[in-house]
Amino acid sequence: MESILSFCFAVLIAPLLPAVIQKVKAYFAGKQGPPLLINYYTMIKLFKKGSVYSTSTSFVFKLGPVVGFTTSIMMLLFFPMAEIAPLFSFHGDVLMLFYLMGLGRFFTIIAALDTASPFEGMGAAREAFFSTLAEMTVFGILIIFFKLTGSLSFQEFFSGDHVISLMGEYGALLLLVVAGLYVVMLTENSRVPVDDPATHLELTMIHEVMILDHSGPDLALIELGAYFKLLFYSGFLARLIDPFHSANVWINSLLFYSVVAFIYITIGVVESITARYKMDLVPKFILTPFIFVFFVTILTMGVMQ
Amino acid sequence: MDTLFVSIAVIFAGGVVGLLLYRQFTLMKLVAIATSSVGCGIGFIFTLSKLFGQASGLDVSYNWLHLFTLAFKIDSVSLFFLIPIFLIPPLALLYSFHYLENKEKQARAGVNYFFFSMLICAMALVVISANMITFLLAWELMSLSSFFLVMYDYEVKSNRKAGYVYFIFAQGGAMMLFAAFALIYSYNGSFAFESIAAIPDSAKLLVFVLAFLGFGSKAGIFPLHIWLPKAHPAAPSHVSAIMSGVMIKMGIYGIFRIYLLLDSPSPMIGQIVLITGMITGILGVVYALAKQDIKELLAYSSVENIGIILIGLGIGMVGVSQQIQAMAFFGFAGAFMHVFNHSIFKSLLFMGAGSVLHQTKTKNIEELGGLMKRMPVTGRTFLAGSVAISGLPPFSGFIGEFLIYYGAFNGLTATKLPYILAILAIISLAVIGGLATACFTKVVGLAFLGEPRTEKAANAKESGFTMGAVMSIMAVACLVIGVLPQPFISLAFQGVADIPVLAGFNTDAFMVIIRQISCTAGLFIAIFIVVSIFRKMLYSGKEIGSGGTWGCGFTQPTVRMQYTGTSYAAEMVDFFRPFVPFKDIYSGIKKIFPGTTTWDTKTFDIADKNYQERLIGPMMTLMAKLRWIQHGNIQLYIGYIIVAIIVLLLFL
Repeated sequence: MESILSFCFAVLIAPLLPAVIQKVKAYFAGKQGPPLLINYYTMIKLFKKGSVYSTSTSFVFKLGPVVGFTTSIMMLLFFPMAEIAPLFSFHGDVLMLFYLMGLGRFFTIIAALDTASPFEGMGAAREAFFSTLAEMTVFGILIIFFKLTGSLSFQEFFSGDHVISLMGEYGALLLLVVAGLYVVMLTENSRVPVDDPATHLELTMIHEVMILDHSGPDLALIELGAYFKLLFYSGFLARLIDPFHSANVWINSLLFYSVVAFIYITIGVVESITARYKMDLVPKFILTPFIFVFFVTILTMGVMQ
Repeated sequence: MDTLFVSIAVIFAGGVVGLLLYRQFTLMKLVAIATSSVGCGIGFIFTLSKLFGQASGLDVSYNWLHLFTLAFKIDSVSLFFLIPIFLIPPLALLYSFHYLENKEKQARAGVNYFFFSMLICAMALVVISANMITFLLAWELMSLSSFFLVMYDYEVKSNRKAGYVYFIFAQGGAMMLFAAFALIYSYNGSFAFESIAAIPDSAKLLVFVLAFLGFGSKAGIFPLHIWLPKAHPAAPSHVSAIMSGVMIKMGIYGIFRIYLLLDSPSPMIGQIVLITGMITGILGVVYALAKQDIKELLAYSSVENIGIILIGLGIGMVGVSQQIQAMAFFGFAGAFMHVFNHSIFKSLLFMGAGSVLHQTKTKNIEELGGLMKRMPVTGRTFLAGSVAISGLPPFSGFIGEFLIYYGAFNGLTATKLPYILAILAIISLAVIGGLATACFTKVVGLAFLGEPRTEKAANAKESGFTMGAVMSIMAVACLVIGVLPQPFISLAFQGVADIPVLAGFNTDAFMVIIRQISCTAGLFIAIFIVVSIFRKMLYSGKEIGSGGTWGCGFTQPTVRMQYTGTSYAAEMVDFFRPFVPFKDIYSGIKKIFPGTTTWDTKTFDIADKNYQERLIGPMMTLMAKLRWIQHGNIQLYIGYIIVAIIVLLLFL
């Protein structure tokens, strides 16, 4: 029951949190910013609309948003938000889930290529490349977590005798992992300095340019999927750095989501004080945390639970 | 055992029929396909019943020419490799019914069926051979029959060249095998496989390396892979399907068999295989990404998958030498599973490429586009195959990779070098997976989606019925294996059952995980269906418009503005620059009013380039100096022979 509620809450709150980023950015720019519920309004507006489809596209174009949305939902179904057991979990689920994200990416990319637009092709190529680089870091992190807990599932990472936490044993090792995961989060969710969703030129976008031709409910599904994905990554980070623990589920959830909100605020700060990197610097930026993570995997050689 | 020989005889009879009846084109095709397929069916049933049943009395030997013994023996490993041998060819044969429809080439089609059935028989014989003589006979039969299959369109010069390159690599590889076997024979004077383990440990590593090079040239390990991207585009597509899907796995079988027979204690063997696997896998997919010819790209992707399989085998071997049973078991089982899966989806993809080639007369991605609408069956099945080969759930490719990952993660308990190797294996698999996604989104996205780039693509029609049917069967199989993997995984588990070091390993705990994977795949599909229905509801009764693609303000788009395969891959290929040299040919802008300018980018295979520059170039200059020996005088040739015989008899 708790699990179902936790899942529903995550789904409901996912669109709210990105508005926090916008608020922070607005604050830095000295503006008032959109209301916190802006994303809900946008979703409702988009769901009410119809769509215009390019004559170049085929059924694949319509498949893209659905597959992408489904894979994001799967992440939330398997991730233990706020120390509450997820709805589903099994030994090895992390491998399957990261590969399912790959499936979502596969269909997003071919949906973009389906439009025959040169800009969308460009975005697709970058998405394919950068996420491959990010994947190296992700699997490095999984190796470390396996060494620390002996398990391959989100639920097992954060429960049982050897909980992965910055405050727990081997917390020092996790400092670099947290930094690595933060960069992966920025990459996978198309945030500054890897990608700038608010840029004015299609040529310089990555993710945003891939969905130029989607409209109406299709676009809403894509946006919702993106919110879920960002919530999953920041939830993952929050479980690592969350210093609070309380026996009460409610207090615990509240504390957890405050940490999540804090991560969103840091994203907003990063976006406000840095500009997007030049395209040829981006691969170097994404590869840097891999070095951190690889270093930590060597350090964990002697550790085995 | 007799059943198996009956099935081989029936398959061969099918080929002979093809040769005899070639004047009645359609009848010949029907009879040849039916007969060979029945033979494969018999063999397939035999294999499955033995794999799950009692494996006794599977050991026979015959005396041949009063000199040699031909010995055959079947264990679980041979049985497992027999599955793709009997499963894929009937489908490829069925596909060929509509693929080979040029009546003017009816005699050639007959010859094609003959060598095709011979190839099936030879592969079956390779995996059941139990001594060196039998093995090498079957091996050479396999190489030769596949050589003739590659030479189908021999009047095209580039095809002849491709055939010769394949021939050189096949025979060069065989030479390595002869060397390995001769070395064994020099120690114990016996041709029997059982006696191989008796040679001294010091010699085992050398024997393994020789055999690894020999088998590796067939499997396509880096840098012995260069025949694949040449031979596959040259061969007819049903032949490419069978060569890439099944025949190159005989190289894997050989590597695994010699490893089992040597039973060497040296940890070096596993490390060699694992490192080769990682290099082969990553470079294979990078080269695949750089290619614009679909069949060439698929050939490089086969190199990549051989890399994945070798990573699995390497993980298994390292697990054996580290005495981590779980690592060994899942490494080997994962490699086996991937052999099985790859045989299906790679055949499917080659058949899809063949269907495109058949209809558009081009296999260059830059000249295709928009085929999903014009060839719906080929497009959809190719999409399924692409998802499967990228290793993405809920399709079959994921299952094999999951097993290998699982083995590698279990290997993280090791320390020092094996630990580093396990880490690198996991990272390599992740990189290969990501790049494979990039590679196959490129093929699907540029060849099948968007707008047609040329007239040829714009006028394409769907291929004949049997081709579509076969591809659909295989596409469904990819999905079924991904969603319901239990029976297929137990196939792989049965395959490794006879390996002594794995005896007594309990897989019950793992089967629970597999059931969970199956449930998760089901859950994914269920959510997908619910979301699709939800989306349909949102759109019901709404206005759906259609218009041109948003050109970012540009109002006169042409199909030539679409992203090209070269530019799609450019950034990723550039990342691996030292391994992928490339050359830009740019005519430049010269006058005030520039005329036509051209830009061409060529990528090179580093292995190919080095062979050309370092090996073939110097060799040609040397050989040119010795040309006087070849003068064409028959009397002097006889003289050479006599001198050679005298030297051999008197001095050696």
